[in-house]
Amino acid sequence: MVRFLIRKIPSVVFVLFASSIVAFALPRLAPGDVAVTLAGTDSTAAAIAAIRQELGLNRPLVVQYWDWIVGLFQGNLGESYLLRRSVASLIGDRLGSTLELAALATLLVILIGTTLGVAVGSTRRRWARAGLDLVNSFFIAIPSFLTGLALILVFGVLNRWLPVSGEVSFMADPTIGFQFLILPAFALALPSAAVVARLLQAEMLAVKNEDYVDLALSKGASATRITLRHVLRNSVGTAVVAVGLQIGNLLAGAVIIEAIFNRNGLGQLAVSSVQTRDFTVLQVLILAVVFVAVICQILTEVVLAGLDPRIKLGE
Amino acid sequence: MADLPLAPSDVALPEARRRLNPTLVRYLSALRTPKGVVGLSILVLMGLAALLAPVLFPGGYDQQGPQALTGMSGKHIFGVDEFGRDIFVRSLYGLRIDLSLILTAVPLSMAVGTLLGLSGVISERLGAAVQRLLDVVIGFPGLILGICLVAILQPGWPALFLTILISGLPTAGRLARGAWLAQQSREYVLAARVLGVSRWQLLVRHVLPNAMDAIVVNGAVWMVVGVYIEAGLSIVGLGVQPPTPSLGVLLNNGLRFVTQSPTYIVGPALLLLLVSVGFSLLSDALNEAVNRR
Repeated sequence: MVRFLIRKIPSVVFVLFASSIVAFALPRLAPGDVAVTLAGTDSTAAAIAAIRQELGLNRPLVVQYWDWIVGLFQGNLGESYLLRRSVASLIGDRLGSTLELAALATLLVILIGTTLGVAVGSTRRRWARAGLDLVNSFFIAIPSFLTGLALILVFGVLNRWLPVSGEVSFMADPTIGFQFLILPAFALALPSAAVVARLLQAEMLAVKNEDYVDLALSKGASATRITLRHVLRNSVGTAVVAVGLQIGNLLAGAVIIEAIFNRNGLGQLAVSSVQTRDFTVLQVLILAVVFVAVICQILTEVVLAGLDPRIKLGE
Repeated sequence: MADLPLAPSDVALPEARRRLNPTLVRYLSALRTPKGVVGLSILVLMGLAALLAPVLFPGGYDQQGPQALTGMSGKHIFGVDEFGRDIFVRSLYGLRIDLSLILTAVPLSMAVGTLLGLSGVISERLGAAVQRLLDVVIGFPGLILGICLVAILQPGWPALFLTILISGLPTAGRLARGAWLAQQSREYVLAARVLGVSRWQLLVRHVLPNAMDAIVVNGAVWMVVGVYIEAGLSIVGLGVQPPTPSLGVLLNNGLRFVTQSPTYIVGPALLLLLVSVGFSLLSDALNEAVNRR
């Protein structure tokens, strides 16, 4: 495994390096000048120059990029020019909200995805399979924001059962926090869960035709045992890969879900920093998303190799 | 399929059919399956509604009425928004924005992606390098890419167009490159090479037709993704800017008044859903048609 990880390093470094350049360069290509914004509408050229000097904006871009990257390695994420706060504290304030959402959503993806996948993959009744399959296709096609809107209408407006706007930290008050969390997490999880279910179900149907399933059957193993022990265990790798690949989608979807349910998480921070052109915050957030996505991808491969002895890492 | 009503073209035009390009005939055959018929009907209806919006409602999308935030009624089937504007009219005008976006950005994206994917024809190194770059694009999930682009350009049609265009490139590129690599190891290709057939001829004769099917199907799928990208960015407030309506902008506005007028978001959401169902059915039908061979 260590050799596999070492061999992965160059491509990971390349993707992260390229993304860091994109994250650094893109916001700076935008028209408009932070110094002018900060100085206010009727400020003198000297005042603007002073601000540029103070923030180090008049240095060459390469130097600014280098400082940023060196800072990142030293654990210094930089400072928001507009809010005059460290990016680390801005992110720290909102990290909990997004983590709660992403964690519960991932849990739901695994739960709903495997349950639905196993149900379709193991049923012998044709109509049940067709029906579940149809439900599945429906959920794959419906994006999380439409599910979110529907949930808001049904559970928050027509029936006032659950809160649909705002949040309470799960750590502070688990019961109320969960009430705020469940609808957004469900909306976020549903499309990904359906994708996982579809892949798991297809794999289970394929595994059922393997010789060792026939052998187990002839040895008199029960249907439940065959499903759980032989079929599911050999199909679960696909599900793991699917969940791992969905994490990037979950993060991107979280931006919209946070907006819909009025949660003050990292997605909202990203949106507001685009609107105010606060690019020192934005560049860190962009790089962080890519970083998490890449790490998830590698972890997926490692977990997969752990589950299936036939797979050798790095070959 | 026997119980399908025959279109006049089925009966009258065997001569013309024979002269048509066989690839095109295969795609057209997709449109006669039940899925294809339903999908296409929905899309034609949506397209007509979007095209004719200025004719049907010459007052434009900004006409204000006396009442605000009323629910659905016979006079205003989608209800009335916070400024007393008819939501149905605004939805149709919004549909124009959405359709104009995806119908331009997606085909262009598929074409450019195909060309990038085939850059390996010029040199294998170039092909691999382009592939690495496309991998970086994949690293940015759809909406994050949109957020980056909105940071450079102002929020609006061009930023949405570019987001949809760029996010479609990697898949099209992979499909095209896959077809190129797959054909390269075939014996007839080796034989053709030995005979001195140029790479470009190989490309046009064998690789492109093989890649075409997958890319056309992918294009239809990407239409749905495009609509969702528009809606997603607009919902977080980074899409087309008001007062211009798009389906996503209407959802964004409707969400703000969801307690006062719960039906506000229903109409635009329904149109959004119809467009995506239309393209999903169409892509399914196309997929079945190209795999039926």
